[in-house]
Amino acid sequence: MDAALQILFGGLFQGSLFAMMAVGLALIWTTIGVFNFSHGVMMMLGAYVAWQLSDWSLPLFIVLPATMLIMAGVGWLLQASVVRPLIGRPNIVLVVVITTLAAASLIENGVLEVWGPRSKQLPTLIEGNTQILGVGVSMHQIAIILITPVILGALWLFLNRTRLGLALRAVAQNEDASLLVGLNVTALYGLAFAIAAALAALAGIFMGGYRFMSPVMGADPLLKALIVVVFGGLSSISGPIFAAYLIGFFEAICSYYFGLYWTPALLFAVLILMLMIKPEGLFGAKTRGLA
Amino acid sequence: MPLLEVESVSKAFGSLKALDKVSFKVEPGEIFGIAGPNGSGKSTLFNVITGIPFGPDSGRIVFDGAEIQRKAGHEIAWLGLARTFQRETSFDKLTVFENVLISGAYGKPGRSPEEARAGALEALDIVGLPRSSHGRLAEELSVFDRKCLMLATAAAMQPKMLLLDEPASGLTKPEIETSIGLIRKIADLGVTIVLIEHVLTFLMSLSQHLLVLNQGQVLTIGNPKDVIADERVIEAYLGTRKAAV
Repeated sequence: MDAALQILFGGLFQGSLFAMMAVGLALIWTTIGVFNFSHGVMMMLGAYVAWQLSDWSLPLFIVLPATMLIMAGVGWLLQASVVRPLIGRPNIVLVVVITTLAAASLIENGVLEVWGPRSKQLPTLIEGNTQILGVGVSMHQIAIILITPVILGALWLFLNRTRLGLALRAVAQNEDASLLVGLNVTALYGLAFAIAAALAALAGIFMGGYRFMSPVMGADPLLKALIVVVFGGLSSISGPIFAAYLIGFFEAICSYYFGLYWTPALLFAVLILMLMIKPEGLFGAKTRGLA
Repeated sequence: MPLLEVESVSKAFGSLKALDKVSFKVEPGEIFGIAGPNGSGKSTLFNVITGIPFGPDSGRIVFDGAEIQRKAGHEIAWLGLARTFQRETSFDKLTVFENVLISGAYGKPGRSPEEARAGALEALDIVGLPRSSHGRLAEELSVFDRKCLMLATAAAMQPKMLLLDEPASGLTKPEIETSIGLIRKIADLGVTIVLIEHVLTFLMSLSQHLLVLNQGQVLTIGNPKDVIADERVIEAYLGTRKAAV
């Protein structure tokens, strides 16, 4: 019973984190068709911005939205500077990999310059620990497990129930037709990057509350987000969300039975096997679309 | 004053001149046909007029008094210029209603959500797509219904001018007849129509003026009956008598 509960909480916690990390990456891919390799750095920068605001003694209910807003602006700027000028050029996917990696390196070094190399930690979302059916769980983890579906649900509502969401879903499917019906495609690309950066910042805040922050803390989450997106399928944002929870549970089970050391190798083995059987991803289709 | 004025417009892809100093004018309220053999530059002409995916290399395009050859695609749409494609439906993974709603909402600036919804429903009624189909994904529709959906999407923008790229391609004879009726219905709403089509009977039955393109150049413009009797047009479509012998 204890083992099952530990796996359940571990899976939900990891799945929530992976979902928050991956959803922004998937949003950008499905909308613009490029991979943003500075997504991990956006998580890191979000955590540092939140740390700075907390250091100025601002309360959490201000720190969270303020950080997301600031990071949305950073995401917009990132898109305007290293992605937008390249749209329509040949080999854009590869070129944007390089430009976003360059931006990531620049931001990492900037953070190192501003905040220094010493590790930092964010305050937890909720202080303390609790026991659920005899299993000890931190309140920070419970908060992440509960907040993530709310945020993802809000994103779903935004994409499926608002005019702006409808416009983003349209751009994701057909850029030329979007222009023809009067959609300002460049502004929508900026919006996709802004939303992705805000969500990455929230993932960074989640991470900064239970592990030490450093300027390179975004590298591992970026890799995880890529695995989740490829595993779930590149054609939608719902696929990676389901995949995030599946991978979360898979990692929790592997960690429990085989240990942390073997978990990444087993995860990659499953990923490769799955891609051999279904190259478009577990929940993927052959065309892109935000749903 | 013409609604659309194309002046000496050229577009090249490497050494290939897709359009070579093309000039013509379209008057408000008319149906203007464009014909020409495959590869004559018809669709490229629509591309450079709408700016999607590219504008012209040189020349001037004036729409409703404004120069548009350097404007972004969505800005040209906001001026009241709509276009349909030859084959694809705009957004396959959106429902029929969402496809039309999006052009109603964004195709004409300043509309309220209620106006956009009402406009979308009206456009769907014009083309005769029943309410029962509004919730279906566009990709599930038949070829003819997709063509109707494209017309509804364009009509929902309430454009001043509609560019139709081969609306009859892939349709059966009765469907072509229905399409002619639909295009007339949209024209009767005051929309100026520019029409590319291979099916000459389709063009003849609709157009007040006919332009023939050949190898990126204007071969002739005029009354449709005179144009199709022109030796140069017959030659461009069928080849010379000598070549045939």
